[in-house]
Parts: sequence; C-alpha cells; structure tokens
Amino acid sequence: MKLKIYADRMSQPARAVLIFCKVNGINYEEVRLDIAKRQHLTPEYAEINPMKQLPAIVDGRFKLFESHAILIYLVCSFPGVADHWYPADVFERSKIHSVLDWHHSNLRPGPVTIVRNTVLAPALGQPFNPEAAAKGEKFLSASLSKIETVWLKDNGRFLLGRNQPSIADLSLVCDIMQLELLEDSDRDRLLGPYEKVQQWIENTRNATNPHFDEVHKILLKAKAKAKRQNQQLKGENHGGGGSDMKKPLLSRI
Amino acid sequence: MVLKVYADRMSQPSRAVIIFCKMNGIDYEEIKVHISKGQHLTSEFAEINPMKQLPAIVDGRFKLFESHAILIYLACAFPGVADHWYPADVSRRSRIHSVLDWHHSNLRRGAAPYVFNTTIAPVLGRPLNPQAAAEAETILTSSLSKLESIWLKGNGRFLLGGNQPSIADLSLVCEIMQLEVLDEKDRARLLDPHKKVQQWIENTRNATSPHFDEVHKVLMKAKEQLQYQRLKAAKKPLPSRI
Repeated sequence: MKLKIYADRMSQPARAVLIFCKVNGINYEEVRLDIAKRQHLTPEYAEINPMKQLPAIVDGRFKLFESHAILIYLVCSFPGVADHWYPADVFERSKIHSVLDWHHSNLRPGPVTIVRNTVLAPALGQPFNPEAAAKGEKFLSASLSKIETVWLKDNGRFLLGRNQPSIADLSLVCDIMQLELLEDSDRDRLLGPYEKVQQWIENTRNATNPHFDEVHKILLKAKAKAKRQNQQLKGENHGGGGSDMKKPLLSRI
Repeated sequence: MVLKVYADRMSQPSRAVIIFCKMNGIDYEEIKVHISKGQHLTSEFAEINPMKQLPAIVDGRFKLFESHAILIYLACAFPGVADHWYPADVSRRSRIHSVLDWHHSNLRRGAAPYVFNTTIAPVLGRPLNPQAAAEAETILTSSLSKLESIWLKGNGRFLLGGNQPSIADLSLVCEIMQLEVLDEKDRARLLDPHKKVQQWIENTRNATSPHFDEVHKVLMKAKEQLQYQRLKAAKKPLPSRI
C-alpha cells in the first residue's frame, strides 16, 4: 500500500513533507484536508491523528504525526534518500536535532501568529488582532536574528554551515514562506534586515525546485483571495499603490 | 575529557539530562549555571550555547544544546544505554520523536509560562502576568488531557503503551514536576482530573529512583520556600491582603 500523506498545502509543515517526498522520489498519495473548512476536526481524521493536526502519514499499518518526526521517519525507512538530508553521523545528526528542537519554541510561533491575526483572520472566522500580531512580530524578529547570526554564522549555503540542505532547512524555510501571505511591504519590513536569511531561503528553494514552487503555489492564490476579502472588510479603503521596490518571491514562482 | 553538562536544576530540561546521565552511568561533570543570577546570559556561556539557554553539553570538542537533542545524542554516543530509552527500531523511535515534538508545542508551552506567570516571575524580578497565566492554563489543561487520553492510552506503564521508560517519559515528567512549586490548590486543580498522568509520573519516578528524587531536591526546596511565603502572606490580617 502506498504511503498516504494527509496535508493542507496552506500548512507550512505539510508543505515541507510534500516537498521532501517529491525531491526524494518517494511515491505517495496526497490526501487533501482543508483546515479552513475544518476537515481536520472530523472523527474520521481523529482516527489518523488523534491530535487533529496536519500533516500526518499512514504507511501500511503505521501512523505518524508531527512533521519533524515524519521527515526523519521518511529518511530512515525509504531507500535512496541522500545522506545530507539527515546525516548518519551522530554529531551532524545531533546538530540537526538541535535546530529542529529550536524551531518548535522559537521560529515556529512567529509566522503562524502573525498570519492568523492579520491576513488569514477572516478566512479562519476570527477578528483581526493587531496586538497579537505585534507580539508575533517581536518573536519572529528575535528568531530571524538568531538564524542570521547563529545558525547561518558560517559561510555554508545552508544551516550549520552545510553545503547541501537538510530536513531542518526545508522545515524552517517552509515556515518562513508563510510570510508571503502578508502585504509585500510587511513582508519586506520583516525579512529585509536579514540578508543571509533571504539568501538561504533562495538557496533552499533552488535546491528543491521545481517542487518548492509548485507546492507553494497555493500561497499565491490564498494571498490574492485574502487581499480581496480584507479590502472589502476595510471598506475598500486601501489605496494599494505601494511600489514594488523588491519583487516578492511569490511573483517569481 | 569528561562530558560537561551545563545545568540549573531548577530548569526542567536540565534535570531530565542529569537524571538520564545518572541512570545510565554516564560519567559527567555538572557545571551549575544559576538562571536566577543571570549566569546563563554571560558572554562566557554564550561561547557554550549562543542561544543562552540551559541545558547544554560539551563533549570533547563537540557542543550541543536543546535537551531532546542532547538526550538523543547521549543515547547514541555513549555505550551501554539500554534500548528502551531510545529504541533502534524505526517505528518505535519515530513515535518517540512524535511525542518529543508534541511536547515542545503543547505541554511545554502550557506548563512553563503557567508556572512562570503564577509563581516564578517575582523570584526572577519580573511581574506576574495573570492574562498570560490564563492563556497558558488553557494550553496546559488541554495538554494534560491529551497525555491522559492519547499518549497514555492502553495499559502500559509509560507513554505509547511502553513497559519501560524512554527519553520522552523522562523529558515530559520533568516538565510536569515543575508544577510542584505552584500553590497546592492550583496544582491539585490541574492534576487531579488526570489519574493516569499521576500514575505515570510515579512510574517514571520509581523507574529512575533514587536519582529522580535527588535531582528534584532543589525544586522541592524552592517549593517549601514558596509555600512558607504564601503562609506568611495568608497570616497577615485580612485588610492588608485586600
């Protein structure tokens, strides 16, 4: 039986798992669940993942959730995944665990909080919450600054000074990509100060293309939709004439 | 050169790492870094862990931080650690990763800010934040329910139905032990509904005895001090407490 991946491409960890499979030629069936339609909250899905979160996988009789755990499982149980994704060497592997753990309690809460309380609030049936978004921004900036100065300290093209991507690069970059949903000016304000982070996103994108762009396409659509909705909500008040100083990544996908 | 563990036993992940070393006969030197004195924020410690958090280890020339990563490293790099702590079998190992990942964004995100904003903040010279405490309590309560109904489903003595502890049991139990410093009423309100969780804490404690109690002594001393302060405050005449 083919590996099943339960995913909503709007969810950043779901995208990381899908891109990983595509890049590594892992054969899978994508079972799409729409979080906005609350399809992850059904009793049927609770049979797959009792925590009711995405992504989750079913491989034969084996069920697993939590994207980092899934990525590691895929590396270890599918043949032919190159070593750089999750090195066998215990020292290198441990450093990657360290980044992945750090991701959970640092980078991860930032983009989610910002996007949920701004652009995606109407789609999720919630009010805009600028105060929560501001807190998320503070959190995000602290994390991006650590990525820039600690994880990207050395001169490698990827985290930890590596020259090929690991599951940590993919996981963290997919999270930051969520910022593409914001107004271009907001996105540029948040990412602008971090040149190394921007270059690293581009490196990860290049290393995993064309799959990276394909799996992120949904963000383009969501951004346009959110913009329409939010402008209606704001009473068409928005001039929208901001000049494109820096071409956003999405317009190049 | 002996393994160096930089730790503050008031920090729950530090305790997990120390108990793990003691349990598995891993020879180490404990370097105490006092968070309450800001010793983790010095430039010397930033050389060990640029994120300025505890615990961290130095093993020869190799430096590592993040407690889950450290526990996995120790299980893999030191001979003689029994398989149940971090099984070699891919499926079993993956499920342990799943619990550890879940810990970060659920149990930890509830317990740590709850304890901080109801109890510990003043000790570190920061104000209590009832709103943050309330938000954290929601996450904590939901996490304890999920522990009870999902991770402790079945009849095993440990998480995932296991009959022997893994690094996930140790890590999550050390997190919950932090609730010991709370006002007894709050602690009872949070833990009493979760009988399996209570039994599992006891199982983990027994499985790692006597090290578990020894490493938690610092926390128990802090608990006594905080209780004494509460009692003193409660004995004041009523008008001064209003």
